[in-house]
Amino acid sequence: MDVHRLGIKVFVAEPVPLQVTDFIPIFHTWIQKQIVQDHLLVDVHNYSHIHHGPGILLVAHQGNFSIDMGDGRMGLLYNRKQPASVTIHDGFVTILKFVLRGCCLLEADPGLSRRLRFRTDELLIIANDRLNTPNEDATFLELQPALSALFKRILDGTEFTLSRYSKDPKERFAVRVQTDQSPEVKTLLARVS
Amino acid sequence: MPTWKEKLASKMDSQLEEEIDVFETQIALRRSGKLDEKIFAETRLRRGVYGQRYDNGHRHDGIRTQELQYLSDMTKGPDTLWDAPGMQRIKIPFGGLTPDQMDALAELAEEYSDGVLHVTTRQDFQLHYVHIDDTPALMRRLAAVGITTREACGNSIRNVTACPLAGVCRDEVFDVTPYAKASSRFLLGHPDAQGFGRKFKIAFSGCRERACGLVNMHDMGCIAVKRVENGEEKRGFELYVGGGLGAVPHQAKLLDSFLPEEELLPISQAIARVFARLGEKKNRAAARIKFLVTKLGIDEFRRIVLEERKTMPVDPRWTGYLAAVEKYKEKPSREASPLNGRQRTEGFDEWYRTNVYCQRQAGYAVAAITLPLGDLSAWQTRGLADIARRFSGDNVRTTVEQNIVLRWVSEADLPDLYRELKRIGLGDAGAGTIVDVTACPGTDTCKLGIASSRGLAAEIRTRLAGKFFNLDEAVKNLRIKISGCFNSCGQHHVADLGFYGTSRTIGNRKVPHFQVVLGGKWQDNAGAYGLAMGTVPSRRIPEVVERITDRFVRERQETETFQVFVKRIGKQELRNMLEPLMQVPAYEQDPSFYSDWGDPREFSIGDLGVGECAGEVVSVAQFDLAAAERMVFEGQLRLDEGDYAQADALAYRAMLQAAISLVKTQFQDVTDAPDTVVNEFRTRFYDTQLLGDRYAGSRFAQYLFKRHASPPHEHTRDQAHRTVEEAQLFIESAYACYDLLTERRSTVAPLRPPVHTEKAAGIR
Repeated sequence: MDVHRLGIKVFVAEPVPLQVTDFIPIFHTWIQKQIVQDHLLVDVHNYSHIHHGPGILLVAHQGNFSIDMGDGRMGLLYNRKQPASVTIHDGFVTILKFVLRGCCLLEADPGLSRRLRFRTDELLIIANDRLNTPNEDATFLELQPALSALFKRILDGTEFTLSRYSKDPKERFAVRVQTDQSPEVKTLLARVS
Repeated sequence: MPTWKEKLASKMDSQLEEEIDVFETQIALRRSGKLDEKIFAETRLRRGVYGQRYDNGHRHDGIRTQELQYLSDMTKGPDTLWDAPGMQRIKIPFGGLTPDQMDALAELAEEYSDGVLHVTTRQDFQLHYVHIDDTPALMRRLAAVGITTREACGNSIRNVTACPLAGVCRDEVFDVTPYAKASSRFLLGHPDAQGFGRKFKIAFSGCRERACGLVNMHDMGCIAVKRVENGEEKRGFELYVGGGLGAVPHQAKLLDSFLPEEELLPISQAIARVFARLGEKKNRAAARIKFLVTKLGIDEFRRIVLEERKTMPVDPRWTGYLAAVEKYKEKPSREASPLNGRQRTEGFDEWYRTNVYCQRQAGYAVAAITLPLGDLSAWQTRGLADIARRFSGDNVRTTVEQNIVLRWVSEADLPDLYRELKRIGLGDAGAGTIVDVTACPGTDTCKLGIASSRGLAAEIRTRLAGKFFNLDEAVKNLRIKISGCFNSCGQHHVADLGFYGTSRTIGNRKVPHFQVVLGGKWQDNAGAYGLAMGTVPSRRIPEVVERITDRFVRERQETETFQVFVKRIGKQELRNMLEPLMQVPAYEQDPSFYSDWGDPREFSIGDLGVGECAGEVVSVAQFDLAAAERMVFEGQLRLDEGDYAQADALAYRAMLQAAISLVKTQFQDVTDAPDTVVNEFRTRFYDTQLLGDRYAGSRFAQYLFKRHASPPHEHTRDQAHRTVEEAQLFIESAYACYDLLTERRSTVAPLRPPVHTEKAAGIR
């Protein structure tokens, strides 16, 4: 199964102390410094006027980052566009690494005065490819082993659940990962790396 | 690995399928270096695959120009990198959509774009940040739901537009939908429509008076009319040709006051043949059909078209569709029922007032969905498709005001519909009012954008929305339209308050500005175009809106329209109102003026760096350019007074003055004899390409050459209006050229000083 078009969203801890437009200058600074490893950062797009939309988008050649407002919940979403790895497992690891790195950069960004914190007790994994990963039980059964193995390792033995986000066949296939613990993103990143 | 080609093989129209296969092969040929990049560029454009800002691999990040280092240096056109994200335009003939098509569009937005669908001012959709390698799959998925991207861009017949109320309108003569559909199908890929020098746009309107079809600003426009012949009522069209916005707007000319319905397709074909044969091919700036119609005159153009018509072999498709026209009918999903007595949720009444139109079919209504900046997310699109299935059926249309309408909604369902729209964030009131600002993509994604039209539109919208319900009714109904440059994609010429982006250099920095265009007429099928009033820094445009609308409310006489008000107040007085807002504070005082709305980067045009001061020569040029601006403004005043000869003369002198300002930077002692000025200008700036393309300068130089070589034989309003508009653009290009020259010399020359004093402005 080809799953390179994956997205992972990490949610911002509430209450959110920022407006979505506060991220516009941050992303422009990221481009000036080309600060995101392994990515060619191209442009910033403001979609804050769209209800529960993509918020603020940082376009990169390899994958887009966005301060996503889907379902009304702010989070950093990384959407991979170019192949990241050959195997499913490595693909998940690489993409998770990229989004967690993005979270770390935002948490440490002086422009946000360190007011931003991400929670790691819930992640959303989205397969952005209806052809190869249709939103059905069979896809879940096929991907579950790779996801379980990954999260068993990076959650350091903490119990977790994997569940389908929606069973609507029109929606993209998506899995919600939930645990009781919420370690810091940098801790999680260290485990992934 | 499964592919969309295999999966959708049985669902695509065979011709569409073959066309997409061919395109995929052309991609492969280009990838392997076997297809020339210029040929490939036109090929992809004709499939709606468009370039996007920064696709030349350069982007100014606010500090410096960065080279975007994609892994591959392969190109998909001249100076256009393969891997750079692009735009996919999707044609929606007459804006007609079904819920299934909306579902497909939503999927594509998520998987290949950025999750957002953008409705354009021609009822198309656009997806941005699309990789060219994804386009064949994207096209196949569209083809599977009956949508093509063919001829969405390029020198072809673009999306055929029509009034979104066609068929349900209370004022229309008859429903133009089946005719728009037939024209679109007949002309798509037609061999006689492949040899154009430029694009060709067609619109249909059901009536003369309303705005919806905007016939007057189209290459070809059709207004429904009926007449009685031998006791029998016959359908036909008032047929117009040669209209267009662009840098210099032209009002369409009447070709036929009654074109019988059976002649619609053959005459369209004849016009296409004439345009392909006689239209300009080399000079893109003069290649639209409006220039051909102007050059030949409408009578001669008509004669040639009718002669052409006689030579054409009969095509059964010309009339084959007419039998179905009589039977054409849309199917509502629900029974008609009145609204009376239904429970209304909070906000419903305000929404109903601005967003609901009662159809001529009793018990049914059209509900407009207000889309901020024409955008809606994939999630919202899917939600709206479900809502449409429930309330409207297959009767969805996009509008040229960048909204969507649901037709055939049972009035009794409106409160439930409103509640459902609110749930997905699409229940905003204000459709078609002053808060419903139209804007082209501008600097967000367009390669030609000079200033941020979307950023400004969002700011104006936010400010007005907060006080919308307290606005005077006369102001509520005004329209604001914004283009990021003079090319008019935002249709600023037909707005009450229109703006188009430009730039000025203040000190050693660039400042985003907008030209203020007042008094355009949206009604009467884009019945009149506004005129430029002056250039105001982008930061102060919201104040322009506030001042002008406040004064309109204060001084409006009875039921006076905005156009009449503008005329009565006069351009000089309006200019006086704007002048205080033209000031630009020094960077150290207020740096916000030096960046654009929604974009914190220091403003720049393209990827050019900011130069340094030039010194004395600059002062002379600055003076001369200001003088040229003054002359063209005076020309506008004479135009208003009906003195067309003087308006034309002033506009011509303004162009000569602007040319002198440039010539003098190289040849200080040039005389002001027109022949000398034009010759020197041509030799030094045009032939050398120094005027450049930054502001389409070389194209605008033609305005001077043309006027110099061929003074008008008679002075009409149309002719004088055009010369004034052309002079304005020529001056803009002179400013841009001067910017470039000063930057090349690593000098700084404030081209147009902040308008602190009357003297500096040189306007009085």
